[in-house]
Amino acid sequence: MADFTQHLGELFRYRELVKNLVARDLKARYKNSVLGFAWCLMNPLLMMGVFTLVFGVLMRNNIPNFPIFLLIGLLPWNLTASSVMGSMGSITGNGHLIKKVYFPRELLPISTVFSNLVNFLLACIVLAGMLLAFRVTLSPLYLYFPVILLIHLIFLLGLAFLFSSLNVFYRDTEVIMEVVMLAWFFMTPIFFNIEDLTANFSRLMYIANPMASIISTYRMVLLYDSPPAADFLLRTLATSVAVLLIGYWFFRRQAPAFGEEV
Amino acid sequence: MVIFDGVSKRFILRHERSRSFQEAFVNIWNRRNRSREEFWALKDVSFNVEKGGSIGLIGENGSGKSTALKLITRIIDPTRGKVRVQGKIAALLELGAGFHPDLTGRENIFLNGSILGMTRREMTERFPDIVEFAELEAFIDTPIKHYSSGMYARLGFSVAISVEPDILVIDEVLAVGDEAFQRKCLDKIREIKDAGKTIILVSHSLQMVKDLCAEAVWLNGGVVRAQGDSVKVVDQYLEWANRKNKVRLEGVHSKAQEERQEDYRRWGTREVEISRVEFLDGEGRPTTVFDTGDTMVVRLHYWARQRVERPVFGVAIHRIDNVHINGPNTKTSEYDIEFVEGEGAVDYVVPFLPLLEGTYQFSAAIYDYSCIHPYDHHDRLYTFNVQPKTMKERYGFLHIPCQWRIETKAPVTPRGDPVGRPSFQVRRE
Repeated sequence: MADFTQHLGELFRYRELVKNLVARDLKARYKNSVLGFAWCLMNPLLMMGVFTLVFGVLMRNNIPNFPIFLLIGLLPWNLTASSVMGSMGSITGNGHLIKKVYFPRELLPISTVFSNLVNFLLACIVLAGMLLAFRVTLSPLYLYFPVILLIHLIFLLGLAFLFSSLNVFYRDTEVIMEVVMLAWFFMTPIFFNIEDLTANFSRLMYIANPMASIISTYRMVLLYDSPPAADFLLRTLATSVAVLLIGYWFFRRQAPAFGEEV
Repeated sequence: MVIFDGVSKRFILRHERSRSFQEAFVNIWNRRNRSREEFWALKDVSFNVEKGGSIGLIGENGSGKSTALKLITRIIDPTRGKVRVQGKIAALLELGAGFHPDLTGRENIFLNGSILGMTRREMTERFPDIVEFAELEAFIDTPIKHYSSGMYARLGFSVAISVEPDILVIDEVLAVGDEAFQRKCLDKIREIKDAGKTIILVSHSLQMVKDLCAEAVWLNGGVVRAQGDSVKVVDQYLEWANRKNKVRLEGVHSKAQEERQEDYRRWGTREVEISRVEFLDGEGRPTTVFDTGDTMVVRLHYWARQRVERPVFGVAIHRIDNVHINGPNTKTSEYDIEFVEGEGAVDYVVPFLPLLEGTYQFSAAIYDYSCIHPYDHHDRLYTFNVQPKTMKERYGFLHIPCQWRIETKAPVTPRGDPVGRPSFQVRRE
């Protein structure tokens, strides 16, 4: 335990590195593109356009405010997907660093999640604009948003720890996860309403898929003006914390071997 | 302070590990074929370096030196035993590890600084010094993908050194950058050492180990062969390495080398080697006996098994009692050799041999342009003699052309009188 707190202290001392790694990610990502950071805003809009066309126009549905409904599902999903996929390369892709310099290895998956968080927050500007444009009333419930985001992040950090270390030892994790993410996308209520499923299925989905709970909660507070049920929120939090603990435990167990395996 | 206490490090050889689920799955059925191939890079290694001490790790390639460095810098963990390190470490393992090509020099300084564990405030404070030391003021806002490799290395060194370490770990990195900068780096390292910091050096340049380190540890096959005073350990190592070489060479050309095998000193990586050393007089006739004032030509025959860029040929003359007389090379003489390939010879021409009577030992060497990496070094392998034939001067070993002059109130007779008043003017050339 003393070891553990000491390690957390070390993580804190290296906070500057997280900041710089995130900055590196973002700068490198946009430096060579003409539109630069505008892509953060364009991308969700274009995605929304495509999905609205397919699921709103071609295949009619009766969800009101469908583009917003979709965007509230899509943005958190993108955050999840890019964090999971990005984290898998975070250790293996930085082998040159890991083999040459010591620093707490956790910082790599952490910074992957954070740089995707920055992208998410920028994309939220689009969402905010949409919310205003579609005249969804502003409500004090929006204060729940950071709370849900925090739970979401805890969950993502857990996944990032897990998959970043798994990918070091089994390089086809990445290939497998591409398919898994696709399945996960369809099993998450992004372009459909979870209440449209049969009661049994929706219950099962909430239990088996934390993303379903998280996206539903985002929608409740941002779109439907209803406060999330406390027990529901706590259950999601408990799941996320459990994922984080398992992920971190696994990561710490594997981390000493990274220097030899990457 | 660095303590190695019974440290062992095992590596599982890479091709044995299941790198994918697919292999892992197959291996469940093939358990028998899964022999674990182990490799112990270090076996029960113990040594310690006091605060302010300096230690050099020497040994052949694959002897475990780099593994030891990685253990010190916490890049890997020991399998057994304990590595204790007290103080902040700066590692010059690979300069500019973690630089991102798309970012500017400035951005990379901050990124790399934080990788080395510095806070933003420390970085801001040291930033001007870093830039100045790297001599990159003009390019600091240029993406470093446009940097030359020398600029890259300079920046890397400057950032690494700016950590203000208690312990400086150096792994053969100084063979980069131009020569002026290399000297600057070495000066900086000496400065850090003189400030009472701990230095740990891994190098193939044994001279550097002797110069920089008070102590040395000789690793061989992951085991400590010898440790202690660096000069002694380096000599032991050299003797061992040369004896090993001798055995290898005997198979190649046994007769020619026979007479030198008693005290065989030779090392280097042999991309290009010195195949023969010939002593010639002014007319090109082979001889090993010269008179003071003679022309001496030493022909260094080389054989480059591959194209070697910008080699530096050097020689040295020692008196038989190991007094080092000179050691010129083509670089200090500003005689640049663009490259060598295949066979050839380089002549070291002394138009007027200033040595007096005696036996002298001759060394020949080929180094890379930094003069750090030896291709082939023949240390005092050759002997030549100087005998007095015409030269009358006898004391010491060096003839320095001179004139004598006398000033006196008494009238000077043109011919010297050896008994009474010395009145001569001598000119020897």
